[in-house]
Amino acid sequence: MKHLLLKLEPLIWLLFGQGILLGTVLLTPWVLVVGLAIPLGIVPADALSYERATALGSHIIGRVILLGLIALPLWKGAHHMRHTLIDFGGAERDAWVAPLLYLLAALGSLLAVVAVVRI
Amino acid sequence: MSRSAHPRAMAASKPGSTRTAPPQLPDRFPFGGRYLAYTLFDLTGILYLLLGLSVLCAVWSLGSGEAVWNGALERHRSIFYLGFHGIALAALIFVGIRFFAFFPKAQPPRVGRVKPPPKPVILAALYGLWIGVTACMTIVLAGGIF
Repeated sequence: MKHLLLKLEPLIWLLFGQGILLGTVLLTPWVLVVGLAIPLGIVPADALSYERATALGSHIIGRVILLGLIALPLWKGAHHMRHTLIDFGGAERDAWVAPLLYLLAALGSLLAVVAVVRI
Repeated sequence: MSRSAHPRAMAASKPGSTRTAPPQLPDRFPFGGRYLAYTLFDLTGILYLLLGLSVLCAVWSLGSGEAVWNGALERHRSIFYLGFHGIALAALIFVGIRFFAFFPKAQPPRVGRVKPPPKPVILAALYGLWIGVTACMTIVLAGGIF
């Protein structure tokens, strides 16, 4: 497993980096509108009515953005959590913590593909 | 026909004979002095993981029909979700500012014969991208266009 993780490290770092850069860029408007403005009534809920949300989400650009919105933060989160746990608890547990976190990110990414396809 | 080498193929087969002190955590770790920003940056990983899963749930509910989607939007009105998204927004701004400050320093001196642009140009591009995408997506999600 350690050998495999070392081989995958360039890919994991790429996804981690894009998770910080693109994840932050894409999540900011999502949190602003879907997480705060609509629930607080600043933006009318009709803005993301089922019909409109489906139309936006089923467009090819919408699907790509939604996929990035889900998958990239998962990889950023998994990699950063791995290093936080190393910082706080040492590297002894890394042999099972790292595969578990990356498996979660990979599974989430796979589910993200399914989720955007079924809109 | 050759195959790729083991990533640690060039590592020493056993530790060197020089005695070294065991690794120790710095006195001020994790929340003192400069370690505070470092630790907070690390801890944003939890929020990003939760945000990714939260968006996954929302998108999944969109594909599950109108009633489920409306239920998901309704859940976002709870104080728990509002608090979570408030903290998440603060974390996103913190990560953006910190990462964009790192970015110019992380550039190689040259890529082939091309030198990276000066720091102010890189920063302007990054902040321009962030503000531009945020403005466009906010307008689209809020129903301003399309």
